Amino acid sequence: MLLWLMPLVLLPWFSHNTDKTVAWQAMLPHDRLSLVVTLLLKLLSSLLIASLLLALAGPHIPERIIERSRQGAEFVILLDRSRSMDDIFARPPRNTLPIEAFSTRSKRTVSGDYLLEFVKRRPDDRFGYILFSTRATEILPLSYNRDAILATIEAGALGKGLSKTDIFQALSKAAAMFEGEAYRGSRNILLISDGGVILNASEKAQLQQRLAEMRINLYWIYLRTVRGMTLDEQADDNLLWLEMPERKLHTFFKKLKTPYQAFEAGSLKEFAAAIEEIHRQQYQALIVEERLPKQSLADWFLAIALFSSLVLTLARLYTSWGVKLAAQADRF
Amino acid sequence: MRLSYQKRITLTAIIMVVALMLVMAALWMPHIQRDVKIMDALFVIDITDSMNVQDATVNGETVSRLDWAKEFTRRTFLDMPCGAHAGLAIFSEARSLILMNPVEVCNSYHDLTQMLNQFDPHMAWARSSEVSKAVYTAIRQAKEIEPEPTIVFVTDGHESPPLHESLFPKFDGKPGEIHGVIVGVGGEDLLPIPKTNEQGEIEGVWGVNDVMHQDVYASLRSDTTTNVPKARTEHLSSQKKSHLQTLADRVGFEYVSSPTKPGKLVDAIRKVSETRPQTIDYDLYAWFSAIALALILLVYLPYGWFIRTDD
Repeated sequence: MLLWLMPLVLLPWFSHNTDKTVAWQAMLPHDRLSLVVTLLLKLLSSLLIASLLLALAGPHIPERIIERSRQGAEFVILLDRSRSMDDIFARPPRNTLPIEAFSTRSKRTVSGDYLLEFVKRRPDDRFGYILFSTRATEILPLSYNRDAILATIEAGALGKGLSKTDIFQALSKAAAMFEGEAYRGSRNILLISDGGVILNASEKAQLQQRLAEMRINLYWIYLRTVRGMTLDEQADDNLLWLEMPERKLHTFFKKLKTPYQAFEAGSLKEFAAAIEEIHRQQYQALIVEERLPKQSLADWFLAIALFSSLVLTLARLYTSWGVKLAAQADRF
Repeated sequence: MRLSYQKRITLTAIIMVVALMLVMAALWMPHIQRDVKIMDALFVIDITDSMNVQDATVNGETVSRLDWAKEFTRRTFLDMPCGAHAGLAIFSEARSLILMNPVEVCNSYHDLTQMLNQFDPHMAWARSSEVSKAVYTAIRQAKEIEPEPTIVFVTDGHESPPLHESLFPKFDGKPGEIHGVIVGVGGEDLLPIPKTNEQGEIEGVWGVNDVMHQDVYASLRSDTTTNVPKARTEHLSSQKKSHLQTLADRVGFEYVSSPTKPGKLVDAIRKVSETRPQTIDYDLYAWFSAIALALILLVYLPYGWFIRTDD
């Protein structure tokens, strides 16, 4: 916009405000030096106007992204938003005496708190966030922006849960987030949920292929709902547990060609240990993008303006001094 | 006015000295501290079916209300002063779901717009649209956020199922406890509402027999004093201005109908919010260099073309 004013730089070449009209041209001595000086001064004044205009136009080097090598990993967070996550975390069964005090915080707020701590401890990681309930939506594509991911996790801990969950969709969406991305370092999906689903054969095949293609590690922090039940089968298993969807999902995950690890969190201590273990494992070389803020170039132009205006001012002062002398000489 | 040659030369010299000093000031004057008023806002976007009606305009093109809401919210982010915070939430069924707590708008602009772009009818988890209750849940959840944000609720005000005149959903908070602005979107005319299926894809429009035309209470009564027969138009939608105004009054919000300039909305948000002052560095270089430029141009303006200066 301001650059439309650029033709103003030609002004000094048309202006004769300070010229002296001389009665007879031939009276003037021919002086090559003053010709050059005049030309130079005019050039300088053009330069001055131009540089001031450019400085006003707000020149800058735009924000740049550079790549650096750091330690860390990339995570997509899948936090279950189903209604069962509103239940109290690690609540002792009703038929036991409450010997130890237990916290009355919901599974969602507990998970939110640990996730926040996890993200804060990992300064160089890139995080993405998928909202998953009936349908999965990648609400936060992989981003280095700490504030955004922390705010999203905080928001996830607010309010009540939604209806049901679709883990298959959420996992495919999470894998799709890495699509078309260069491999920068360890890629992980962090699934936090308190239930499982039974996947059909085609869904299983699809997931297995997607995770392998994208080279993604899967972590599952399973918030135990039924006391005593483990994801792995045990010798003294309750018959009711054999067909639990969680177990089926776990068996499928174990068969994946990509690394998979499950953590069963039945208490705050176990949850903290799981987070600690993931934090410890995922410390490998990672290429990260860093944003360099935009740099203003106005100061450069102002410096040029300063130089040219200094010379011009001195020239003007000299002229006015000379004219004054001449005027004084006239009087006598 | 005519100036003698000597006076002109002296005047020019003085102006040049002043200009030189201004350029020096522009270069070396330290930044001054200035207070701007910043606010925290939580934008709740209606993603229910009625938002798919194409009766809003962006840059002269007719787009759906949802597209308008997204584009207008994005422009509002741009108009908010750096340091202000903005969060995002969606509304479907009878509640608002907060997706991102308020974050600083300038640094997180990219992430905010990325999230905003994902807003789509398929994120809706149910096919009803109870605006009043959603406003109440937004207020309830805003209280859990520190500092409490101002709610900016972008909706067309279409209630489905409809409300009974005297049985308005109960608001258990204090009006004005949480500040907010309801932004109305949509035109005056009743238009058919595109219908989304389970996958969130648009499949035709809602028919006259697909929706409830009476509120839940009245529709179960047989006496015509309660179940008053009335025009069956609930399958069509327009911006429900009087309803939104009533709702705004009930919860102590402002109501802005179809704003055209994001700046106006930012002003409205600033007016209702409890703003916090934030000190920012302010560089005066532009002012100094502009004045210097003006002075220098004054020296070189070709006065000779307008008045004779011969002497």
